[in-house]
Amino acid sequence: MDFYYSLAQIIGFHTLLGLSAYVVLLTGQVSFAQGGFFAIGAYVAGMLTVISGWHVIPAMLAAGSIAALAACLVGFPALRVRGLMLVVATLAFGEAVRLFFFNFDYQVEKGGSKGGPLGGEGFRQIRWFPEHGWTTFEVMLLVLIVVGLVIGALWWIDRSRLGSVLRAVGEDELAAQSVGIDLTAVKVTAMTIGGFIAGVGGALYAHYTTYIEHTNFTVLLAVFAIAYPILGGLQSVFGTIVAVIFVQGILVEGLRFLGDWRSLLFGALIVLVMNLRPKGLIDGAAARRVARLLRREGRHA
Amino acid sequence: MLLIIPDRGSNFTSIGRTLNAGFFAYADGGFPPSETRRGRCNPGTRLEEETSMRKSALLICSALVAAASLARVGAASAEERTVYIDGFGAKSGVVRSLGINSEAAMRAAVDLINSQGGVKLADGATGKIKFEYYDDRCVAEEGISIVRRMAAGPTLIGVGPSCSNVTEPLYGILQKKVGDATDSGLQFPVFTDVAIKIGLAKISEWSFRNVPSETEMYTTMYKWVKDTHPELKTLYAGVEENFSHSRASWYAVQKDAAPAAGFDVKGVTKWLVDDTNFAQQVREIKAANPDVLAVVAHSFTTCGLLKEMDRQHVKVKMLIGLTSSAIQETLTNCGKVAEGITIPTSFALLTPEAKAANERVAKYNGTLDIHSAGTYEAMFILKKLIEDQGVLAKPDTVQADRVKIRNGLAALKTTDGLLGTVDRTSDREAVKPYLYIAAKDSKWVVMHDMIKTKQAAN
Repeated sequence: MDFYYSLAQIIGFHTLLGLSAYVVLLTGQVSFAQGGFFAIGAYVAGMLTVISGWHVIPAMLAAGSIAALAACLVGFPALRVRGLMLVVATLAFGEAVRLFFFNFDYQVEKGGSKGGPLGGEGFRQIRWFPEHGWTTFEVMLLVLIVVGLVIGALWWIDRSRLGSVLRAVGEDELAAQSVGIDLTAVKVTAMTIGGFIAGVGGALYAHYTTYIEHTNFTVLLAVFAIAYPILGGLQSVFGTIVAVIFVQGILVEGLRFLGDWRSLLFGALIVLVMNLRPKGLIDGAAARRVARLLRREGRHA
Repeated sequence: MLLIIPDRGSNFTSIGRTLNAGFFAYADGGFPPSETRRGRCNPGTRLEEETSMRKSALLICSALVAAASLARVGAASAEERTVYIDGFGAKSGVVRSLGINSEAAMRAAVDLINSQGGVKLADGATGKIKFEYYDDRCVAEEGISIVRRMAAGPTLIGVGPSCSNVTEPLYGILQKKVGDATDSGLQFPVFTDVAIKIGLAKISEWSFRNVPSETEMYTTMYKWVKDTHPELKTLYAGVEENFSHSRASWYAVQKDAAPAAGFDVKGVTKWLVDDTNFAQQVREIKAANPDVLAVVAHSFTTCGLLKEMDRQHVKVKMLIGLTSSAIQETLTNCGKVAEGITIPTSFALLTPEAKAANERVAKYNGTLDIHSAGTYEAMFILKKLIEDQGVLAKPDTVQADRVKIRNGLAALKTTDGLLGTVDRTSDREAVKPYLYIAAKDSKWVVMHDMIKTKQAAN
């Protein structure tokens, strides 16, 4: 079962990455900076547990907060531009973060050996979980609880006034502005929330792999971050998790037995799914069905 | 066909009759002759008896069949059992040739072992190796997933991966110290064949490597270059900066080894593993005008740089390459411009064993090189270990067998390699025999055989 627990963890932190992009996409913005926030979360959490000896949960929250702060700071200048300009600006930010960590050395002597990031040679021994006796099942539970909390929070936001405002900005900026919505505030808020979620996801990722280096946070990661919510559909927060299960569970792990053909099929199947479900795996109708189901379950409870 | 029953007294007659009663009609349409003869013609009694006999006969039949089957299975299992060993590495992306060659080498080795009778298990049974190879695409998460999948199944040991950026996290999820109850890391042995970044095996006591020691190879090679070419004084390095192995090779080994041998290091130019334009780097090399250029990069960008040097007519007196570039791919992609590049390597087609192994690997569409030779050797090391350590390869001894293999690997002082004896260090690393080869007319030729030099010194 350990393998499946491990797979659930991968699905968990990839879901967080996708949800971080989902929030921003709700406002109609395409951000390629999520990989950068994910990297910030990974490095900060790793440094806090390895160098400062923090417990993983406060380290994770701190990592999320710092990533959120970075997202907020990036959000102000970057969100003054739109569309393709924003794509380029956020892509540049993601690359800047990656290159920062590529050159970032901060090693501290602890217990006879040095720990911490070592530029291009990476940051090893982020072993908080095994060193504290956490089993794969327990780590999976933590990851799933975090994912559950984030999904719950986004589900609630989607049904609150804030959710309506986010979607209003995403649907038609001009109309939203004409009813008094502060576009910059809304976009920066979405970016900050997305940054926090990506940071938390990065923290979990670093502690899952025990080793991180700048090549883990390339533009490909940012592409995946955007692809998950688009593939899953923006009508419901559950679309992202369905897309992550499809990509990580089925395409990456499920097709491993196909060997060399897997990589070829990977792209072809995504294209096929996008053609069959152009509005995402969970489109409007599916989202309404999920909502009805959840309401019914709620009444039964 | 009708079975003739001479005597009802024996069990076999009952069985025979019962079976016949069930499946055949008698010619006269009446009761079986023997029954008629003995006057047991009461239909009710006869029916009960028939039913009862049929039941007992079926039971006995089933028991006999089951016993025969069990005996056969038992005999088979006493003679032959499956030993699961899996490999993994990069079969996709820029470094896919590493995985392709490693898989071919391991399959060739496994087939040879199995065709020679397999491995002898502790209880006298024979083990046949069942081998699977998984593509991790040089991605850390995938490498971890593969090893967790292996650890969840009957696999006794994993051989791989190709990339150092997969190896480091992979070793990180393993238990750091064997028997440490506070460490919940995975207790699964991994024998790495290709990832060559310096000093990785010390991360976990469950991790082992069969890769050459770059420290040893480059330290002696720079001295040899200086001794044989005293006129060469200056050196410039080109480093594939974002690939952990290339980077570590320069900063942790060659950067110190070159000046220690007496070279004046004039500077370093850098590029990335997926770069395709080297114009600026070549201009820097041209400006420095060094005697020796150390190209600390993998085959793909080594070729890119050398082609650009050719285009800009930049020449140096000597080219030194990264050990990972001492492969056929370099000659295929840029043999002409790589003419003369000298590289230390732990593999060349020198011995009859190496040549025979290369032919076997070629049948699996791979080539034997510095990396895949390590995987080929690894399978024979494991065969010997399984036999020496008393591995049983039973479903209920999987973890115990893994521990035995781990302990066996940890205790090894030397192993047999294709080029000679391989020393093993206390850090679970290998120090392999090596030599210096150079590209001549799109072929690798031996420039200096350190194996013979060492043998002569001893």
